[in-house]
Amino acid sequence: MTKLIYNRRRFLGTAAATGALLASPAYLRRASAQSGGEVNIWTYNDFVPEAFKEQFEAETGIKVNVRLVDDQGKQFNLLAAEQPNPTVDIMTVAGHRFLQFIDSELLAPLDTDRLSNWGNINPTFSESDWSTINGNKWGAPILSGMEVLSYNTDYVTEEEALTWDTLFSEKYKGQTAYIIQDMMSIVMLMKGYDGNMVAYMDDPEKAAAIVEEAKNFLIEHKSLVRKYYDGGAEFQQMMVNQDIVLGHSWNGPAAALINDGFPLAMTIPREGSYGFVYTYNIANNAPNVDNAYTFLDAILASPEIGAAMTKASGFISTYKGADQYLTELERKSTSFPEEQLANLQFFRAEANDMKYKLVDPAVEAVKAA
Amino acid sequence: MNRGNRIFLSCFYWAFVLYVFVPLLLMVLMGFKDSNFIGFPIRSWTLDWYTGVFNDAEVLSTFGYSIAIAVLSTLVSVFVGTWIAVLLQGRSFLGRTAIFGLTVLPALVPGIISAIAFRIYARWLGIEPGMGAIVWAHAVHNVPFVALVVMARLSTLPKSQIEAARDLGADPFIAFSRITLPYLVPAILGASIFCLLLSFDDFVRSFFLGGYEPTLPVLIFAKLRSGMSPEINAIATVALILTAVIGIWAERFTRRANKESDA
Amino acid sequence: MTYDASTRRDGQTIGRKTADRTFWGRLSSWGPYHALMRLVTASPRRQFLILAALPVLWVLTQHLGPMLQMLRVSLTDAYPVAPGVEQSFTFDNYMRFFGDSIFWMPFFRTLTFAAVFTFCTLIITYPVAYFLARHVSRRNQMLMLLLLLIPFWVGEIVRTYAIMILLGNTGAVNLVLRFFGLIDRPIPFMYTSFSMGVGIVYLTALYMLLPLYSALEKLPKSLNEAAADLGAGAWTRFRRVTLPMTIEGISSGCTLVFLISTGFYATPVLLGGPSTTVFAETIAGFFHVAGDQWPTGAAFATIMFLAALIITGAFQKLMNMLRKGDTK
Repeated sequence: MTKLIYNRRRFLGTAAATGALLASPAYLRRASAQSGGEVNIWTYNDFVPEAFKEQFEAETGIKVNVRLVDDQGKQFNLLAAEQPNPTVDIMTVAGHRFLQFIDSELLAPLDTDRLSNWGNINPTFSESDWSTINGNKWGAPILSGMEVLSYNTDYVTEEEALTWDTLFSEKYKGQTAYIIQDMMSIVMLMKGYDGNMVAYMDDPEKAAAIVEEAKNFLIEHKSLVRKYYDGGAEFQQMMVNQDIVLGHSWNGPAAALINDGFPLAMTIPREGSYGFVYTYNIANNAPNVDNAYTFLDAILASPEIGAAMTKASGFISTYKGADQYLTELERKSTSFPEEQLANLQFFRAEANDMKYKLVDPAVEAVKAA
Repeated sequence: MNRGNRIFLSCFYWAFVLYVFVPLLLMVLMGFKDSNFIGFPIRSWTLDWYTGVFNDAEVLSTFGYSIAIAVLSTLVSVFVGTWIAVLLQGRSFLGRTAIFGLTVLPALVPGIISAIAFRIYARWLGIEPGMGAIVWAHAVHNVPFVALVVMARLSTLPKSQIEAARDLGADPFIAFSRITLPYLVPAILGASIFCLLLSFDDFVRSFFLGGYEPTLPVLIFAKLRSGMSPEINAIATVALILTAVIGIWAERFTRRANKESDA
Repeated sequence: MTYDASTRRDGQTIGRKTADRTFWGRLSSWGPYHALMRLVTASPRRQFLILAALPVLWVLTQHLGPMLQMLRVSLTDAYPVAPGVEQSFTFDNYMRFFGDSIFWMPFFRTLTFAAVFTFCTLIITYPVAYFLARHVSRRNQMLMLLLLLIPFWVGEIVRTYAIMILLGNTGAVNLVLRFFGLIDRPIPFMYTSFSMGVGIVYLTALYMLLPLYSALEKLPKSLNEAAADLGAGAWTRFRRVTLPMTIEGISSGCTLVFLISTGFYATPVLLGGPSTTVFAETIAGFFHVAGDQWPTGAAFATIMFLAALIITGAFQKLMNMLRKGDTK
């Protein structure tokens, strides 16, 4: 597969460039691009860099149809509703959600032999233990995210942000926010338990007791929190409006704020935290499997593409050497000190069934309390 | 009604208008902010976002797509809704209440439920996701509103007019077309505007039943994942201005048309 | 309208020249059309059937169909069906609601909020509708109404974020208050039932405004004038003339707004806080997670829907009683 050369464009200018490159509106283009076929992709906004997409289409004649999804649950619902003949070829599943999709036979195993650029992915991600299930790989890791403690540097000191406890302190009453479901795992970690619950797979009673403890902790501290949120955009808005000065968030949305010049910083507190990885996956019974592999191989071709994804989403690229193509500020917003990274573990999927059966009702209880 | 009350009411009305428009003004304002996020304070301004909207072929084609869907679904729902209204407002029959209840049903079901139900139903019927499915879902959802509005108007039509027409030799279809229909025009127009609005604004059905071409709300929601940016505000503002212009033009047009027909 | 003597019920035509000139005349004397009409109007019963065919078919297949499907799903234990899994009939999903009290809080909270916000919307939009119907010239009414309609052309999400910028700690309201020195620390408006209310009333105002407006518009001014002549003060006139005659408009507006309010998801989630979780959020949660929660979500949605219907049914009955009582 020839290496596609990625031309850098100003983020703002991308829109104008797109306009210039396209001679006719989308629906006309589709009618004319019959030559190389097409590939259908479901992904998050900006995970497929615009410039890459244009070059790919120009060089291979394959039309790229991107459908934007905004969360894993919706993606699952959509795919499930389309069985047994999905309209999609490539999806973007978070690694720890693999099992849910695999058990419902929604994904096809990834044949890494067909991807000559598989080696461009950092082995920390491509060969990690969560990525191989039943002896197969199920997705190509592209972006890595983590649960971090984000704080407004004008109000909170770095000292304070080194522990999750600050999130539950009286000092910042009414100025904090978090995602309950993710927080449950973190609270379990805070209390010294395994937030992935893999260690308790054979001991459901213990698992239930731990979840109960975490739930009670959150309910006890409910009066201190300003808002339970679900989406990164909400978190960003709360920070910008200074409705909160400290919160749990994913690194992507926080990095976007930092890149915009907002006085924000992130830490992975000493009690530890969890990371997750977004992957590109091939759907089971996908309509255009060959084109899908062509696309995947192309998008993995160079670290510049990885850097483009990072610039747009704020998440950390899984490609080797991608950070060379980032600006100073972007590098700052996508890296953590070694000692903090040592505290990071990945979310694991094995115990998810049991875990979410316990955690989901607990989340409801916290909301209802 | 004395002056005091009048002034109070007037103030109340304009306070309400303010309440309705201030968030909009903020939205327009934020489109000028030179940043990737919205919010005060605005330190520097830029026109880039607004000009970007007009240069962005994706946004423009999405806008056209949303309008096309709105128009098509409105045509269907007005046709069906008016027909249903005529049936329900006519003579009483067994099961009329039931049919009325069923007519109103789609309006009462919460969005996400309705959207998923339609998705499942569409699959059962073999309808592919895409423009047709969205038009269908929007049309079905909007029928209750058309029916209600037309029924209300229809109930004020004096029966004597129809009877007179029949006596003069018109068959039911001609009587309907020449008397009832013209009388219903204001209601139908009002209902149409409402339907266009509902369809254009709809997110949840368009999301679940759409294909690879997003409608405007779906596009905005997807972009939202990267944060509420001035870009989104600019897009929404431009969409708003365009639709306001069309709306006002439509109002002027119908006003002129009504004047002529009254002459 | 000119009386077109060219067509008569017995089918005989006279004066063909005038008949040919108008479209309707030509249509009614066109052979196939005439034959079709004969067929349709052969008996009142047949005429009715043809009239009713499309609506009934449509309503049964398009309106009822999806709901029946949803009901069916709510009674299964797995949906979508993973391969190798048996799907069976069960009431468990419904039992889950009645068995677990953590769901009751958001459920009753939603109904309460819906009722309160419906009332607020009524209080706020009634004067507006009154002003529009009575004090604005006929010509301008449409335009003024359109003016109010315009903001609804902006998507719900964008509007909701605009409200965040209005009410946030560094939002427009707080900035203005600080500028005038009225406060030194920002008032936390956001993420409370107040901010949620602002957002919801914003969305439902239109649905209440239109029925109220159309009801008020039909009121003959003469009634009020007669009451005034008889010595009634402004408030009395309103209470005993205007209000009772607009009960129908109030009733349909409130019903519509209440039902719609119970279904709101995005706005309460974005503008509400930890203590304002609504039931729609609970339901959505079932659709967001693992696949086998769809049936529970469907069941909960049905429960909410039925509860809302019962409440509005009772409300309508109450309104009817009030209306009948007043005419005594």
